[in-house]
Amino acid sequence: MLDRPLLDGRPALLVDKLERGMVLDTSARAADLGARPGMTLTQAVACAREAEVYVDDRARCRALWDQLLEALDAASPLVEDAAEGTAYLEMRGIEGTPARWIAAVRETLADWPLGVRLGCAANKFTARAAAIMEDGRVCAPGSERTFLAPLPLAMLALPRDTREKLALLGVGTLGDLAKLPAGPFTRRFGNEGMRWHARARGIDPAPIVPRPRFLAIDHTLYGAGSAEREEQVFFALRTLVARVAEDVALAGRHCGKLVLTLECENGDVHHISCVLAQPTAQASMFFDLLRARVEGLALGSPLAGLRLGAERLEEGGRALSLFPSSDPDPEILQLMIARLDAALGEGAARRIDAGPGYRYETRTTHAAFTAPVQRSLRVAPESAPPLPQTAPLQFRLRKPARIEVTIAQGGPAFVGTPPQAVLDYAGPWRSAEGWWDIPLARDEYDVLLEDGTLYRLARCGKEWMVTGAYD
Amino acid sequence: MAKPELKWIETPGTTQARTLAGLRAALAARQGAAVPQPPERLLPTGIGPLDLALGGGFPRGIIATLEGPMSSGRSSVAFRLAAGAQTRGLIAAIDDGTLFAPAIAAAGVALDRLVTIDARDPIAIARSADIVLRCGAFSLVLIPALTLSASAWTRLGMLAHRSGTLLLALGASASNELAYFASLRVGARIDRVHWEGASGVFCTLTGYDVRADVLKHKRAAPGKHAVFFVRAFEGFSDADHLRIRPLLQTHNGHARSPALGRAPRVARG
Repeated sequence: MLDRPLLDGRPALLVDKLERGMVLDTSARAADLGARPGMTLTQAVACAREAEVYVDDRARCRALWDQLLEALDAASPLVEDAAEGTAYLEMRGIEGTPARWIAAVRETLADWPLGVRLGCAANKFTARAAAIMEDGRVCAPGSERTFLAPLPLAMLALPRDTREKLALLGVGTLGDLAKLPAGPFTRRFGNEGMRWHARARGIDPAPIVPRPRFLAIDHTLYGAGSAEREEQVFFALRTLVARVAEDVALAGRHCGKLVLTLECENGDVHHISCVLAQPTAQASMFFDLLRARVEGLALGSPLAGLRLGAERLEEGGRALSLFPSSDPDPEILQLMIARLDAALGEGAARRIDAGPGYRYETRTTHAAFTAPVQRSLRVAPESAPPLPQTAPLQFRLRKPARIEVTIAQGGPAFVGTPPQAVLDYAGPWRSAEGWWDIPLARDEYDVLLEDGTLYRLARCGKEWMVTGAYD
Repeated sequence: MAKPELKWIETPGTTQARTLAGLRAALAARQGAAVPQPPERLLPTGIGPLDLALGGGFPRGIIATLEGPMSSGRSSVAFRLAAGAQTRGLIAAIDDGTLFAPAIAAAGVALDRLVTIDARDPIAIARSADIVLRCGAFSLVLIPALTLSASAWTRLGMLAHRSGTLLLALGASASNELAYFASLRVGARIDRVHWEGASGVFCTLTGYDVRADVLKHKRAAPGKHAVFFVRAFEGFSDADHLRIRPLLQTHNGHARSPALGRAPRVARG
């Protein structure tokens, strides 16, 4: 509608994709021609041949909808985002009459590029029905049942079989439904039936669930000369951090992510984002983390400006125990990870894990280490799980490298260059995996060399490789 | 020249007897550790003979080394130590891509409390150790035995002391600087290798005996040694149970010492 305003009143189909697409929505005219959401594009086009087809642009729709919700914030402090396309506003306590409220909302949406329908009533269901009936319609409190009576059952979004059953009973409108006795209807259709019946009578106890209000905190530092030396940069950063931390504390929030933008005189822009494992409002913590990141940067020219934003603002703080805890502070760990990232590059601190598999070289997996939030990092020695009776032999993986092996009497006799005698060996064991994908078949050996090294060798065809060593 | 032999006349209940008993107790303690350490200052390995030789375990807040060539059992001791040390804090290890997670987990190490740091060159490793030691949340940091300047080891030693962290260097041998700044040096070497079954397809490595020598100990008498068994890790692959080793487990055990070349077979009990 934004791109082609003239489409209003003409058949149109909204699909998820053009090739083997599914119809997501239809215009009223296309629906009259038989196209329905859920049809394949081919089926829908067969019904509505002259319909124009549009691919759904989710990101654009979401951005437009967010724009509308933000505009509605000016009309009421409590705005519910019911679904994309429907929003409820709580107007109780706001001065004025329903007509003035509608006028005020319409005024806030003056820049909205698409049309809106507004309705006003004492509850959400009736308000939505009023908006559908006519733009700007108001239902006076206490007259909901009469107001809703002529509306079709489609307002209740009933299942198809229920609709058919009710049609057989001669129930076609909300008024018809409201006339049925509530008890037998509920016994026949269950809890859902009770809700439908109540709504048909104009009763909807569902409260407005206001959407969380978006709070953005950021500060900039520009135009006060340029920062060339390290201490100047950190002085500016400390000033900026103090301002942001003060705002975060004033808002009664804790910050989970910091975004720092550094603009250099030569036009370079560096973005540094820093995720905090434990949201906090401490300026010293913010500064330490950002300092660790900035220390790892190489700037091409003096700094012209800094911008610091606080994101992931959360309510409340950390739960503290009545008893003192000896657990490492997640903030300290976070700071350590940030310093490691700054010194060695992103993702230097890792967590290893043991996965399943037939090939031992693929069983060790790596992931970024994140500071654990749980409060049980230290375990009392007496409550720790018992250790194995004997220490297991460790194994060190090696990048598979070709090695010379001399075979005698069916087994490896000398290994390496210069050759070392094999004192003993175990194997071969056949490892075969992935025959359905990448064929792998090899024989493996444990060999003890005369210098006392125990290697794991693999033989693939005529090639020998050393894949690891015991340690 | 022979030392004169001192003789005490012991009379139960006298002051001299009580003094003598006290001296004997002190001497007995000295056999384990010259300066008895409180248990909370020690990280035991959980390997009985080695803990006895070390006087209870590795002291915290020092630089220590575990020296030995590949297959000497140094990593096995280190990760066994790490499993016990996790009750006192987190563990960090420098990983050059050779760590094998299933074997580490089998040693009792909780992998979610092990921070591995991907650092390859000596400067990066030293910086990593510096950062981790400053954190103070770690009880053990495993690094390779690097060749660093004396000032770098001084700094790392000071940080380890302040944070109460054991900085354990693993390697074939310690450089002069590391050997000087390490308060404890343990040398490990393979003693005997235990196999099950005759060489070949019916043979399986069951483990080996490791001999650990205390080369240097600032808080106990060096020169002690321990010999202990390290069992082979089972569980390399999900298909390990398919091996035919269990069929021939009973009478084919033998052990070999690499130093002795082809040693005679030793039947297992």
